[in-house]
Amino acid sequence: MKRARKTRPSLEAAHDKWGWFFVAPAILYFSIFSFYPILYAFWMSLTNKKLLSLKPPTFVGFANYQKVLSSSDFWDSLKNTLEFTVGAFVPLFILSLAFALLISSRKRFQRALQMALYSPAVLSSVVAALIWLIIFDPRGLANAAANALMGTSGKDYMWLSSTSMVKVSTVIVYVWKYVGYFTILFVTGIGKIPASVVEASIIDGANARQRMLRITLPLLRPTTVLVSVMILIFCLKTFSTQYLFTQKGASLRAVNVVTLNIYQTAFRDQNLPQAGVMSILLFILMLVLSYAQLRASRGEEEQL
Amino acid sequence: MSSIAASPVARRSSSAAITSVLAWVALAAACLVVIMPLVFMAGASLMPPSEVLSMPYRWIPKEWKPANYALALAGNDGNWLFLRNILNSLIVASTVSATTVGLSALVGYGLAKFKFKGRNVVFMGIMATMMIPFETVMIPIYLIAVGMHLQDSYQGFIVPFLMNAFGVFLMRQYLLGFPTEMLEAARIDGCSEPRIFREMVFKNIGPAAATLAIITFRQQWDNLFWPLLIARREEMKTIPAYIVKFVAEKNSDEGTMMAVAAIASIPVFFLFFTLSKYFIGGSAVYGAGKE
Repeated sequence: MKRARKTRPSLEAAHDKWGWFFVAPAILYFSIFSFYPILYAFWMSLTNKKLLSLKPPTFVGFANYQKVLSSSDFWDSLKNTLEFTVGAFVPLFILSLAFALLISSRKRFQRALQMALYSPAVLSSVVAALIWLIIFDPRGLANAAANALMGTSGKDYMWLSSTSMVKVSTVIVYVWKYVGYFTILFVTGIGKIPASVVEASIIDGANARQRMLRITLPLLRPTTVLVSVMILIFCLKTFSTQYLFTQKGASLRAVNVVTLNIYQTAFRDQNLPQAGVMSILLFILMLVLSYAQLRASRGEEEQL
Repeated sequence: MSSIAASPVARRSSSAAITSVLAWVALAAACLVVIMPLVFMAGASLMPPSEVLSMPYRWIPKEWKPANYALALAGNDGNWLFLRNILNSLIVASTVSATTVGLSALVGYGLAKFKFKGRNVVFMGIMATMMIPFETVMIPIYLIAVGMHLQDSYQGFIVPFLMNAFGVFLMRQYLLGFPTEMLEAARIDGCSEPRIFREMVFKNIGPAAATLAIITFRQQWDNLFWPLLIARREEMKTIPAYIVKFVAEKNSDEGTMMAVAAIASIPVFFLFFTLSKYFIGGSAVYGAGKE
């Protein structure tokens, strides 16, 4: 069998055809589970398909889009998602950058510090949400800590029951869980800054603040862009915390983010077309973000 | 002379020392705050519920209650459903990790080492799927899975996640560095292409495979959305869906909930402590993959 394979003329071209053999599983898999579904999702958003109905769906054009875009429910959930995204983005970005700068300036225990900060990211999102659910109990640790910090006594901060506080609570869970993850991305980015540049600046007499503002932060821009977009994409997809909190009695209206709305619309209301509209809109939102990121990182290359 | 020369240096080094101490204090405080909820979970999982919610909180249980763990595993109805769901999670996460590594290596090798026509189109097409959020395609995938009668089966958990674009990207990048001369030599020796892959390529992807396997395992361990859809029968659910159900039950107490959370975290923490290199390195690669 070994011998039979020896085809001497154009060995190159013959073996290059094997490339198709190796990528065939991907073509099959991504066609069925990525490309067909995204087209189907778009088509579905243009019909009146019902989840359990056997009747063939009819084409209704952009009527579903009109319905969704004029429903306050959708705009509320978009507002919730954006509030959550902005609320989590700012502390996540600032804290992870600050921690990374501090860690990178340490000579010892860098690894231990990274592991400690990263540890919540290892947990399942549901477990993270559950730990905080108990901490946020009216008799729980969060009230005790808040009372100690704010100098109040016996005040209930209503972490889960007040519609504005429950938004803050979901943000706290998220920042806690992911701050170490983004810290590591920043530490890696800082590690990529050539040591020679930093050394040269020290020889030129730059002090620590100058080094930070003139060397580290500008050279860190590719990582900064990457981390910003990743935080945005992570936040837009948040689901588990909100889902678990509402299962335990938190107000759905307050934390009904777009992903949760899609889930509820599709599987509680069995309204596939409207869920499809929302998922296509979410997709477009993420595409725009990814495009913005690509533009930003391209601009970076041109600058260098 | 020496005093004039030394004083600015001395001042600078003492201010550097202060900065250093402040940095350590800030980092120690940050680590403490981040770790505290995990310590809380561990402590509370061994407490009776009254103690979990009695303030001022005692981090170390006054009355130890390891029975929480027995109750957590047995469940409120004593049907041991959690054990079965843990087993499901282990089966699904391990299998998906294995298929993802195997298939990504296969496809990554094809893209890295063969110059066939249309290679770039295939690569870009696969990369483009990274932009599609699962939430957007989940309903169509659900309908496909129902059409294939995959509800309440392990295949239902596994087939939609057989591989992913990030895995292909990671393997392709890794295999671009694989020495082409070795492949050529094997071809001249008459080795078949599948055998070259099996014997030479697949056996040399260790670090990339470990990174990808861990990322995939953790993602699957965390997956809540899909099990909510595909598993209707309780015994076919995985851990995240079980936790949601358990927490919503009226007679679940706080200590036992923390025991459930702790049990669900043991396998991933075990991986984290034994393979932290791949976790931390892997996040960095994962970040770069999205670039």
